[in-house]
Amino acid sequence: MNFSAVGAAVSEALTLASFIGIGGGVLLGYIVGVIPGLSRSVAISIAIPMTFYMSPFIAISFLIGLSKGTAAGSAVSAILLNAPGEASSAATALDGYPMAKQGKPKTALQIGLIASVLGDILATIILIFVAIPFARVALLFGPYEMAAILAFALVFIAGLSGGNIFKGLAAGGLGIFLGTIGLDNQTGLPRLTFGYTELMDGMPLIAVAIGTLALSEMFVQSEKLRYDRANMSVALKKDSTDRITWPIFRNILPTILRGTGVGTFVGALPGLGPSVGSFMSYGMAQKAAKDPETFGKGNPKGIAASESADNAVIPAALIPLFGLGIPGNVSAALLIGAFAIHGITVGPLLLRDNPELLYSIFAGMILASVIMLALGWFGLMFFAQITRVPPHVVIPIVIFFCLAGMMLQGYGTFGLIILMAFALLGYLMKKYDYSFVTFLVAFIITPMLELNLRQSIILSRGNVAILLDRPIALIFIACTALALITLIIRTFRTDKAAAGAPTSE
Amino acid sequence: MPRSDFWSGLAVAGFGLLALLWMIPNYAGTNPFARMPPGLVPSIGAWAMVICGGIIAAKGLIQMLRAGHAPFTADLHWGAVAWAAWPFAYVAVAIWFMSFIKITWFGAFLIGGMLVLLGERRWWMILGCSVVPVVLLYILSVYMMRTGVV
Repeated sequence: MNFSAVGAAVSEALTLASFIGIGGGVLLGYIVGVIPGLSRSVAISIAIPMTFYMSPFIAISFLIGLSKGTAAGSAVSAILLNAPGEASSAATALDGYPMAKQGKPKTALQIGLIASVLGDILATIILIFVAIPFARVALLFGPYEMAAILAFALVFIAGLSGGNIFKGLAAGGLGIFLGTIGLDNQTGLPRLTFGYTELMDGMPLIAVAIGTLALSEMFVQSEKLRYDRANMSVALKKDSTDRITWPIFRNILPTILRGTGVGTFVGALPGLGPSVGSFMSYGMAQKAAKDPETFGKGNPKGIAASESADNAVIPAALIPLFGLGIPGNVSAALLIGAFAIHGITVGPLLLRDNPELLYSIFAGMILASVIMLALGWFGLMFFAQITRVPPHVVIPIVIFFCLAGMMLQGYGTFGLIILMAFALLGYLMKKYDYSFVTFLVAFIITPMLELNLRQSIILSRGNVAILLDRPIALIFIACTALALITLIIRTFRTDKAAAGAPTSE
Repeated sequence: MPRSDFWSGLAVAGFGLLALLWMIPNYAGTNPFARMPPGLVPSIGAWAMVICGGIIAAKGLIQMLRAGHAPFTADLHWGAVAWAAWPFAYVAVAIWFMSFIKITWFGAFLIGGMLVLLGERRWWMILGCSVVPVVLLYILSVYMMRTGVV
């Protein structure tokens, strides 16, 4: 390890500018996380334009802090409102809301916060120790291996991020198709631009991200308002007995450690989001408990299990990102976009070309966790008040920032039309259950996939037998085929089981 | 679900076919000297859409036929459709406005108008929620990013 680079990174992370940037990200994330309906990906996509004027380190740390903040903040609305700010906090609501209703809202929030912070810090430490050796190995990979790994990741994400592999692959296909728009790297000629010079640089990532994630989500939320406007938050009262105590902490600590392990494992696998991690951890905690019947009725272990796993997923999802350059989920995919905007290629090359930045980001992540603990602990009353903000107030403001984000990028009316088109696409994908995660990941990794595929074809001169000398590529091609077959069989089985059940249509 | 699967699958497969038969041959470009033509990767994406969209549509159709559902007779609840559509129309009109006026100058009206349409009637709430985000955007664009008023 380069100790001078580590020292420089730590000192950069401890500057006032870093504190403001990272702290601002965590605070903003916390606020967004508390508001039901605003998810992590919505927050990141809207916040990317705000980072244009920041240095790469502060920009990336700001976005990672934002991501961490939303994960911790979503527990507040899950506990006080029974309406999780994110799907991944739904498991937290199972025990958090009953505990709050039993007169222990502050205890429930503090358990959630401590589980979040511990899960987050431990997973960040695992990331630091795993990502660097992982990236060193990945530097030995050639285009064959990278193309095979990218194809595998895409199939894996398509199968696991939604229920139906065919819908996932169709969304991935659309992402690949749209990801090829722009100047062709080899010929230098416009490809699928239909004569629009604005598309020479490709589909604007900001328009795709904000449209598919944020603006479409606001349209979905406004549609929901027709049917549901209830907002009944549990109030926090001054009660000296309503706080976390040492025996409670000692009781939940093993659950937090288990949840961190589950979250780290799930986060490191592309396609499995934090929801899978939190529910898996909740289920394991329930199975391991001596009193499983108390789960769902306000058991502190339920909150600890869900929150620790939810927060551990975020740093763990960066393992494939920093190690291989593959985004495992939407947030990581958006981070690739943010890195690209700041002129940095994320992946193993980051370790070789810019190790100081990588170490600074790690230091910034630890700092974000500490800030998250302080903000969450001292700002509980403030965040509890935010849960009372009705969704109909949030929707117009977020729509405004979506449009403003595009204008800040400088795309003008053309960019706004593209944004609107992707908002419609995102809305339809959400409505008809097509995986927008796969779509976005496919869109972002297509240039990398195409480059590696092209280099492989040129180097091999079209001779497939060369793969016999590349065992890693061969293994990943076999894994891709195996994953595809397994996921197709699983989809057919699930559909068969669903067809046997009574339908509402 | 089978009905929506049928129609959505058909739309996806249709778009894939359109891409394969018209967009890629006419707009992807050619390079006779390259081992990998520029249309190869977009074609992979389009084929994925055609095959997977076709399977989704076929599965939906089979499920509907088995369950005795008629695919073309779904009742549309026009009230629900209108409620889902008006925010799109509202934002589309706002985008049209933005080709003449900067968003900073009319952002407060954009937010305020939507708040009223969504049922907010408290004037102080409308005023605060409309003005504060615009002021924040002004500070961000003019003082922090130094790009000027957007």
